[in-house]
Amino acid sequence: MSETWMIAGAWLAAGLTVFLFSFLYKDNPFFKIAEHLYLGAGMGWWFQVYLYNIWEPKVWKPLLNYDWTVLIPSILGLSLVTQFIPRISWISRYGFTFMMGYGAGLAIPAGLSTDFITQIGGTIKPLSAMASSTPPAIFNSLLVAFGVICVLFYFFFSVEHKGAVKRVSNMGIYFLMIYFGAAFGNTVMARFSLLYGRFDDLYTFSAGQYLYATQFIIVGMIIYFALHGFLTKGKKEAEAAH
Amino acid sequence: MKLIKKQIPLAIVLVFGVLTLVSYYVPHKLSVDYIETMNKWENIVAAFAFLLGLVSLFFSHYYKIKRKADGWGYSLFVYVGFLAMVIPAFIWHGKQTSELGMTSLGWAFRYIYNALSASMFAVLAFYIVSTAYRSFRIKSAQAFVLFVAAFILILGKVPLGQIIWDSVLGWTGQGVDQVIEWIMGVPAVAGKRGIMIGIAIGAIVTSFKIIFGIEKQYMGKD
Amino acid sequence: MLKEKLEKFFKIDRRCIFLVLAVVLFAPIMKPLGLPNKTIARDTRNAYEFMDKLPAGSFVLFSLDYDPSTRPELHPQAIAMIRHAFKKNLRVGVVTFIAGSTGLIEQIFQTVPGEYNKVNGADYVIFPYMANPVAVMTQMASDLYGIYDKDQDGKDAKTLPVMQGIKNYKNMSLIICITGTAMLDYWVAYVGDKFTVPVAGGVTAISQPGYGPYLQTGQLKGLIGGMKGAAEYESLIQAPGKGTSGIDSLNLGHVLVLLLILTANIILLIIKYL
Repeated sequence: MSETWMIAGAWLAAGLTVFLFSFLYKDNPFFKIAEHLYLGAGMGWWFQVYLYNIWEPKVWKPLLNYDWTVLIPSILGLSLVTQFIPRISWISRYGFTFMMGYGAGLAIPAGLSTDFITQIGGTIKPLSAMASSTPPAIFNSLLVAFGVICVLFYFFFSVEHKGAVKRVSNMGIYFLMIYFGAAFGNTVMARFSLLYGRFDDLYTFSAGQYLYATQFIIVGMIIYFALHGFLTKGKKEAEAAH
Repeated sequence: MKLIKKQIPLAIVLVFGVLTLVSYYVPHKLSVDYIETMNKWENIVAAFAFLLGLVSLFFSHYYKIKRKADGWGYSLFVYVGFLAMVIPAFIWHGKQTSELGMTSLGWAFRYIYNALSASMFAVLAFYIVSTAYRSFRIKSAQAFVLFVAAFILILGKVPLGQIIWDSVLGWTGQGVDQVIEWIMGVPAVAGKRGIMIGIAIGAIVTSFKIIFGIEKQYMGKD
Repeated sequence: MLKEKLEKFFKIDRRCIFLVLAVVLFAPIMKPLGLPNKTIARDTRNAYEFMDKLPAGSFVLFSLDYDPSTRPELHPQAIAMIRHAFKKNLRVGVVTFIAGSTGLIEQIFQTVPGEYNKVNGADYVIFPYMANPVAVMTQMASDLYGIYDKDQDGKDAKTLPVMQGIKNYKNMSLIICITGTAMLDYWVAYVGDKFTVPVAGGVTAISQPGYGPYLQTGQLKGLIGGMKGAAEYESLIQAPGKGTSGIDSLNLGHVLVLLLILTANIILLIIKYL
């Protein structure tokens, strides 16, 4: 790729980024164009990945070598698309049930072992090792066990939540709140990190080697909004005068 | 017709569900052979499931253009974006690099898809800040607990926050990183584990319902 | 009177807040504050130590499942962990179940292997994207070549020097999944727990608290969370990258959010008791 292509790329990337951010000020055609390009480009990227990573090597090439067995999953897969044709949409059930049966069959033992039995074990095990634990570790283990029980009570709807059950389930809410609070705190960091990523790219594209792409595009957008505001204001005044 | 439309699909889900479930616990050669065939087939079926999204997107924008619906001109850009990825992919047979360096496909990924996808999600940062200002209200003891956990996490994750903590609460002898470790390792574990066990029970029950044909919403209406 | 004035604070044009955020995040990129991350979380250290203790030549499988939407958080994590693996002369295999990540994987392997004189096919292998993670994970327990018969460039995978002696999880020393999706949960549930392979992960800060239970039980050997995790890992391998510079830029943003939440609630209190 030549230098010209790199500069063109920088202008394109900076432009698309600024167009998407411009929505924060006001909805505008540049944002809408970038938004629709995103949908298409995403689909296009996925399409070529599927084509060259799976459809070609796993379906087309085996068929060229007379391996007819791949026709079974291919037809089942293609049957899914009949969903868009109401008259024959029932054909898609063959593909869906084939996937759902397999998926459910795998999910049961995995869920049972990983998220149920091992989690209960993980709550009880530290309690059995109390004799060799330090006081803070014992406190923490007891707190985890107590918290898990409280949260489970909160989710347990088979008995009416009143009296002691209500008090326990209320405690459960506090543990959930700490978890949600931690998650919210981390979400702030996650969102800022993503924005930092875009700003970092915009800063890179603002360099002289990219012919100050970022600056020019931002100034261009400001001029657009100013002109747009000025013209629509003029129009409104004219309409009001009528 | 009911047989073909309903009963056979339900039989498929039952047979493959039970066989796959059994194969988990039975390490026999037959069950290994079965699961290996299924793995390869399921991978191919899932690859075709992508077409659902593709066809749905193309149809909806095609009809928008055809009916000249509001903003139909923008729909053209969906196809422009698609072609901007697919044409270079055809030229380079899906390769992003060649002996000469980055191909036009690699270029399109880096400067179009990457920029668009990353920016689309980066915008959310602005909304979380205005939400924090306008909606984060400490009106109850529970909200206060949530606030304290969030506050400590936001503060302690960056060096400046750690400096602030040390200068205000340094006398406690506890670093903010230790407090975060405790929150994440003890009360948050209890909260999340409770949710996890609850979801696991729900997922297992739903999976059984699917296998035995009690849950069949995914099959659509008759 | 004062009450009305204070209430006006909540009606402030949110675009003003947007602008302030843009300034406090952009300014440190232009002029870094010079406040690098100093603390290292236990889970990051555990992940580092687990990989660090593996003998040279061990096979580590990387499942890189993130696309550009989470790139700033996860790309530095992936780069740091792959650098560490190469530094320790471990064999590296890469798989992915997210179509958008293929371009990012390509970007990593265009530059990082060269830093350690590592060669494609001999020291590392990149496998093509596959659509059904659970099916592929299950298949790799018996014979990975059943799915990955060819590498990304179409070369016969079995004959590659890097794959010698590798057939299934029994021959692998560690699985690392870096993801902004639930893929790490799948690796734990469908592989780590069933086939007793060590699994470690790198995730976005949002999902990090959700992995506490797996870390406590040892189902996960270690976990890197968000950009801070990336900065921590970079400092452990002494190779500062985008994680380290990123965390410096987040300083002012975090303080801004705290100030906004506090201000809003203090104003509310005053209004309530006025």
